[in-house]
Amino acid sequence: MTMKQIIGIVLMMCLSGYLYAGDEQLLIQKGNKAYSLGNYQEAVQYFRNVTDRGLEAPELYYNLGNSYFKMNDFPAAILWYERAKRLDPSKEDIIFNLNVANTKISDKIEPLPEMFYQRWFRAVVQLTSIDGWAKFGVILFIIALFCGILYLASGILALRKIGFGVGIVLIILALLSFLFSWSGYTRKQSTNEAIIFTPTITVKSSPDEKSTDLFVVHEGTKIILLDHIGNWYEIRIANGSVGWLPATALEKI
Amino acid sequence: MRYILTIAILLSCLSLYSQDVQFTASAKQTVAVGETFTLMYTVNKEASGFRGPNLQGFGMLSGPNTSTSSSIRSVNGRTTMTITYSFTYLLQAIKEGSFDLAPASVNVDGKHYTSNTLNIKVVKNPNVPAGQNPTLLSKGQSGSGTATSGGNDVFVKAFASNSNPLQGEGVVITYKIYTKVQISGINISKAPAFPGFWSQNLTKDNDKLQPTTQMIDGEQYLVADIRKYALYPLKTGKLIVDPMELTCVAQVRKQTKTRTGDPFFDDFFNDSFFNSGIANVEKNLKSNPLVINARPLPEEGKPADFSGAVGNFTFRTEVDKSRLKTNEAVTLKCTVSGKGNIQLIDKMNVVFPPDFENYDPKVTSDIQTTASGITGNQIFEYLLIPRKPGKFTIKPINFSYYDLDKKRYITLTSPEFTLDVEKGTGESQAVMTYSGANKEEIKYIGSDIRHIKDGIIALNPAGKLFFGSLGFWLFLAVPLVIFMVFLLFWRKLAARRNDTILMKNLKATKIARKHLRKAEEFWKSGAQDDFYVAISQALWGYLSDKFTIPLSDLSISSVHDALKQKNVSEQIITQFIETLNNTEFARFAPGEKMVNMERIYNEALQIITNIERELR
Repeated sequence: MTMKQIIGIVLMMCLSGYLYAGDEQLLIQKGNKAYSLGNYQEAVQYFRNVTDRGLEAPELYYNLGNSYFKMNDFPAAILWYERAKRLDPSKEDIIFNLNVANTKISDKIEPLPEMFYQRWFRAVVQLTSIDGWAKFGVILFIIALFCGILYLASGILALRKIGFGVGIVLIILALLSFLFSWSGYTRKQSTNEAIIFTPTITVKSSPDEKSTDLFVVHEGTKIILLDHIGNWYEIRIANGSVGWLPATALEKI
Repeated sequence: MRYILTIAILLSCLSLYSQDVQFTASAKQTVAVGETFTLMYTVNKEASGFRGPNLQGFGMLSGPNTSTSSSIRSVNGRTTMTITYSFTYLLQAIKEGSFDLAPASVNVDGKHYTSNTLNIKVVKNPNVPAGQNPTLLSKGQSGSGTATSGGNDVFVKAFASNSNPLQGEGVVITYKIYTKVQISGINISKAPAFPGFWSQNLTKDNDKLQPTTQMIDGEQYLVADIRKYALYPLKTGKLIVDPMELTCVAQVRKQTKTRTGDPFFDDFFNDSFFNSGIANVEKNLKSNPLVINARPLPEEGKPADFSGAVGNFTFRTEVDKSRLKTNEAVTLKCTVSGKGNIQLIDKMNVVFPPDFENYDPKVTSDIQTTASGITGNQIFEYLLIPRKPGKFTIKPINFSYYDLDKKRYITLTSPEFTLDVEKGTGESQAVMTYSGANKEEIKYIGSDIRHIKDGIIALNPAGKLFFGSLGFWLFLAVPLVIFMVFLLFWRKLAARRNDTILMKNLKATKIARKHLRKAEEFWKSGAQDDFYVAISQALWGYLSDKFTIPLSDLSISSVHDALKQKNVSEQIITQFIETLNNTEFARFAPGEKMVNMERIYNEALQIITNIERELR
C-alpha cells in the first residue's frame, strides 16, 4: 500500500457519508423547489418522504425545520432543528434558526447555569459532530503512526526527533478527539430529549391524571426525559423542574 | 439628647398603636320618604370582615362600599397616623316609620368590635305627594295626595335615523324630551354609551333647546331635541345603544285637599287660586335603548386598498412645486372632502420615490357637524425632501370609498406627479457631510429564519454513526497492524545487522589467531614476506572486526582516534601503534631475519592479548 493510496482512502473517508444518488436527491430537489415557491406543505411531504426511507442528514432536517417554521408549526420546526443539531452541533445556521423558532413559543424558561468547565468542554465537543471528531481522531492516529515509522526508520537524527515529538503530540490529540467523540456519543445515548406538542399541558406530580398539578408547559418547549412508566414520562425542563407528562403530549427528538 | 430623641421616637411609635378602636355608625337621623341618604360605618384601624346590619325597610342603592383614608400628622415631633376605614351604604327611605339599625360588626387585629345602634326616622316627604315619587322603588306606593300630573308628563325617547345601516354608514341618533309640564335644569346624568360605534356629538353644549309642539294621544306636548349623535358602526351585527339617563326638575301643580270640616272653607281653600301651589319635583328620566343592525359592506368589487371610508367624497392631491433643488422640501397634500365617516380615514397609500426623505403626514381635520351628519375635509400633508438630483415620479395615489348613493365602491385616483430635482448649488458639501453623519447601523426590519440548504445533501442511513462502527475500528486497527508488522520487520532487520557486528566481534580474536598461526608457520619456514603480510592482516583485521571500523578507514594515523573512541587505554594504543610500526620497520630492517620475526610475532601476540584483556 503506497502512501498515495492511503491518503486517497483517508480523504474519501473525510467526505462524510455516502452520496445516495438518484431518487432521494431528486426528492430533496423537489422539496427545495416547493419551499422556494412557498408551497411549504408540499416541501414537507418531499422531505418527509426521504426521512421515511431511513435516511438522515443535518441539512435535510434543517430544511424540514424551515418548512414547518414557514407553516407556523413551531413545535415541529423546533423538533427538526433539534434533530439537525444533534447530527451536527457545529452548524451555525441550525442554531440561528432554532433560536428564532424558540422566540415564537410561549414558554421562556431560564436554564440552569452550568459550571464554566462544563460549558467549555461542551463548547469544544460541539465544535463538530460525533463522527467529525471520530474521523479527525482516526486521521491524526494514522499520521501519528507514520511519525512512528519515521522515528524508527530514518537514519537522519533531525527527522527522527521530529517524528518522535510530532508522533507523541498527534497520539495525544487523537486520544482527545476520541474522548470528545465518545463524550458526544454518550450524551446522545443517555439524554432523551423531547418537544411538547400539545398547546397547553399541565405537568403532574406523579404518573396519574388525578395527581397534583405542578406547572404548565406549552407547545414547542424542549424537555428532558428521565424515566417512563406505562404511558407516562418523567420529564425535566431547562430550569430543573421535574414532573410527569403523558407520552401523547410530546415527541422525542 | 439622644435618649430624649429615642424616647420621642418610641412614644410616637406607641401612639400609633395605643389608639383605641373606634367603630361608629352615622347617618342622618331624619329622612323623608324617597330621599337617598348615606349610612356610614367608620373604624380607625385596619379592619376586615365587616358585617352590616339588616337594612329592612330601606332600599339599598349601593353598598357596602369600602374606602380607606389615612393621614399622618406631625406635631412637635409627635407623629399621629390616622387610618379611617369606612363602609358606606347608599340607602333610600321607602316607608314612613322609625327604624332601629342593629350594630354592625368588624374584626380589627383578630378582635371583634361592634358599632353603636342607630335610629332613623322616616317621615312623609313634604314636597312630593306620594304616588308621584319619581324613583323606581316608590312605584306602587300610594299616598293620600292626589296628583295633577300623570306618570307620562315628562319622558325621553331616542330615535335612530336608520336602524339598518351599512358598516361605516352614518346614523343620527336623536334624544328628544317630551313634556306637558314646565321643566328646568335638565342635566344628563349618564351619557349614552355607543360600544361598536365611532360617535360624534352633533349638539353643542350651549345650544338652546328649541321646543316645538306635538300632539300625542290628543294631548299637547312640548318636544325638544336634547342631544344628537352621529354614529358610524365599526363592526357588523346587532349593536345596542345604551339608554341615556337624565334628571330634570319638573314643576308639578300640587293640590292638597285641606279638610277643615267646613264645606265652605273646603271649597274655598281647595279653590285653584289658593291651592295652586307649584312643587318642584326632581325627576329621573331614562330613554329607551336602541338596537342598530349594522350590515356588512358588499364584498363584490371591494378594492384591495379599501380602508373603510363610507359616504360621498371627493379626492384632490397637489404638490406645491414640481421643480426643486436637492434638500428643498416639497409638500404633497391630499384632501378628502365630503360627507361620511371622514375622520376615520387615517392614512393614504402613498408610494414615495426612493432617496426621498419623508415624514409622517400632518393630518388636519376640518369637520362641520350638522344635524344630518358630518361633512368636512381631512387633509394629509406629506413633507418630502429629495436628497439626490434626478427626475422622480410619485405614483398615482388611490383613494377608495363606498358610495352610499350609487351603492358601489368608487376609487378616486390622483394624477402622477413628476418632480424635477436639480442639484442644489453650493450645498453638495453639506449633503456629503450630512449623508456621512447619517450613516446608521443596519436596521433590522424583521427577523426570519435563514434559507434552506440547496444542492446535493450527503445522506446517511438514520441512526448510523461512524464512531464505534466496524469501519471506525477497522480504520484504527488496520494502520496499527500495518505499523506492528513494520515494527516486527524492522526489528528483525536490525537484529540481523546487529548479529553480523556481534559475530565479527566474536570472531575477531579467532581470525587474528588464525592469521598469527599462519604467520608462525611462515616464520618457521623462513618465508619472511608472507610472514609480515600475515602479521599485518592479523593486526588490522582484528582492529577492524573488534571495533567495527571498516578496513578502508584504517591507517596508522587514524588508528589512535578510532581506538580512543572505543575507550581503549592510552597505554595500549601506544603499544599497538608501536607494534604496527615495528612490523613495518622490521620488514626492511637489517639483522637476523629469524630473530626479528620471532620478536614481531611475540609483540603482535602480546598486544592482541592485552587488548582482549582490556576489553573484557
